[in-house]
Amino acid sequence: MRGEPQKRISPKALKVWRLHGAIQSLVLGLFVIGTVILTTIFEWSVWVMVVAIGVLLLFTYTMIFFLPSIRWKRWRYEVREQEIELQRGFIFIKRTLVPMVRVQHVDTVQGPLLKRYRLSTITISTAATVHEIPALDTEEADELRNRISLLARVAEDDV
Amino acid sequence: MSESKRLHPISAVASFLKQLKELIIPFVLLFVLNGGGDKGGFWDYMPLISMAVVLVVVLVAGFIKWLRFTYRLAEGELRIEYGLFVKKKRYIPFDRIQSLNFSEGIIHRPFGLVKVKVETAGSSNSRESEAELTAILKEEALELERIIYREKRKASSAEMSEEVESEKTGNEEKAVFRMNAKDIWVLAATSGGIGVILSGVGVFLSQFSEFIPYESVYDEMMMFVKSGLAIIAVLSFIVLVVAWVVSVGWTFVVYGDFTIRLNDDNLVITRGLLEKKQVTVPLNRVQGIRIVENPLRQLLGFCTVVIENAGGSVLEKDSSTIKLMPVVRKKRVEGLLKEIFPDYELSESFDKLPRRALRRYIIRAAVWVLIPAVIAAILFWPFGLLAILLVLPFGMIGYLQHRTGGWNLSGNQLALRYRGILKHTAYMKKNRIQSLDAKQSRFQARKDLTTITTTLKSGQAGYSSEVADLEERDASRIYDWFSHGTHNDNR
Repeated sequence: MRGEPQKRISPKALKVWRLHGAIQSLVLGLFVIGTVILTTIFEWSVWVMVVAIGVLLLFTYTMIFFLPSIRWKRWRYEVREQEIELQRGFIFIKRTLVPMVRVQHVDTVQGPLLKRYRLSTITISTAATVHEIPALDTEEADELRNRISLLARVAEDDV
Repeated sequence: MSESKRLHPISAVASFLKQLKELIIPFVLLFVLNGGGDKGGFWDYMPLISMAVVLVVVLVAGFIKWLRFTYRLAEGELRIEYGLFVKKKRYIPFDRIQSLNFSEGIIHRPFGLVKVKVETAGSSNSRESEAELTAILKEEALELERIIYREKRKASSAEMSEEVESEKTGNEEKAVFRMNAKDIWVLAATSGGIGVILSGVGVFLSQFSEFIPYESVYDEMMMFVKSGLAIIAVLSFIVLVVAWVVSVGWTFVVYGDFTIRLNDDNLVITRGLLEKKQVTVPLNRVQGIRIVENPLRQLLGFCTVVIENAGGSVLEKDSSTIKLMPVVRKKRVEGLLKEIFPDYELSESFDKLPRRALRRYIIRAAVWVLIPAVIAAILFWPFGLLAILLVLPFGMIGYLQHRTGGWNLSGNQLALRYRGILKHTAYMKKNRIQSLDAKQSRFQARKDLTTITTTLKSGQAGYSSEVADLEERDASRIYDWFSHGTHNDNR
């Protein structure tokens, strides 16, 4: 297969994903605290506590440190005149081709977390599928959205 | 046809009957609850009176609905107006109309009426833009169809030369496929037949056991009979046979008289003995062809041909993936499809999956059973060990899946062949594929294998075909074939 797509997403995505992971870990942490309290009250086996805390530590490590960085390293995209190519994935490396002629509309979306870091996500819709490029700088995302929509309008079927 | 027209009055009756059907349960409940006791004063009759009132209201409502519903053709639009207090107007431009589908129910046929369903190109709120004429005369419907298709064609070929148009105006129809009684038998027999056969075998075995050492097993047999197992087996067999006969009959009613005709650029599918249905699919809305074989039909040399339709109604769930040929001899498929879709090439030469993918296929199919099997083995030691044997049939499925898998590229057409339980062979054109994925896990990377997924538009959503564990080189070729990029040349 030919070389991977060139462009990376914003490095700030790392921060957002880590923050997201931290929030998830916090929620899990509450459950673990609950488990610890129940264990001491009802005098369950110590192992319940150990396992719960172990799971929490592992989860926190993966969600805050491991996953975001590997995800960011993998995420590549490229918008060419005739097509959009995406590459992502952790266990599976998935590459997707979306021909420009098939693009029906492009949106940019910004959640509260992304907004804080001035990031946007682009979603590209064809008649049957929806694709996403997460966490681009807002200006860059707006520009790219306009470019894709322009390219999609002029693209012609080659077959 | 520019003056406003009403539907046939029978549509008032139809809508009344439809409402009535929904009211039956509350009515029956009311009746039953009110049944006992002496009828005395006015209040005891209240439920009955209110029922009568509701009936009258429904009847009048159906009548008014009919009275206020008009349709006409004007200025290149189908204009429908309805509603009593809130008057609604729905104008559908001809060029937005995908197709007109006819169906004739039991109440339509004696009067020579049809129900017309107007399908529009899938827009974001297609629910709003669809329309239905519950009952109009067949001649009128055909007239409507003729006018709309003529106008449509005029609009679409406005730039084309005149002669092309005049050549095409002849409403030429050609029947390309008919399902004969034998086909329908196969369709009926292979759809739900397995259960019958299995229970038949069960009964046969339980009968057979009478012939082996009768006296020695006599006591056990008595136990067996006493426990009612035999009776249950026989009974369930009878029930299944009846169900099967009914389903065969039903298949004949639904699929009887199945015909595909080619009319200009439209595919017209008609079927049904009691309720006649006619579905029109514009050829240029067909996104891909898929040949589906269930194992039983595959053994008999039959298959099903389905097409993905970009249009389709949101209200009817089966309208996007259309069974073009519910059952057909595999040998005939190529010739038949050649006639309908000359630009598709149904080659049978598929590039197979590499041998080293076999282990992955078997593991993938069998791994799900392994965990429950191990748990069963531990819980019911040592007989639970038998559960591990379950891995065998699933592994077998994996083996078959691997053997089925394959791909073929020819010109601008990609064909993928894959199996879950059913064997699918999907043919698609490059310009119909919405997106293509190449996926590789770490384990696959170690073996140079790649999974390819394509998505076609089908109705409002998409249909995905996936072949796992292709040779990386092959996947790469497919990927590059689909790429519209600048740094590789398309064929």
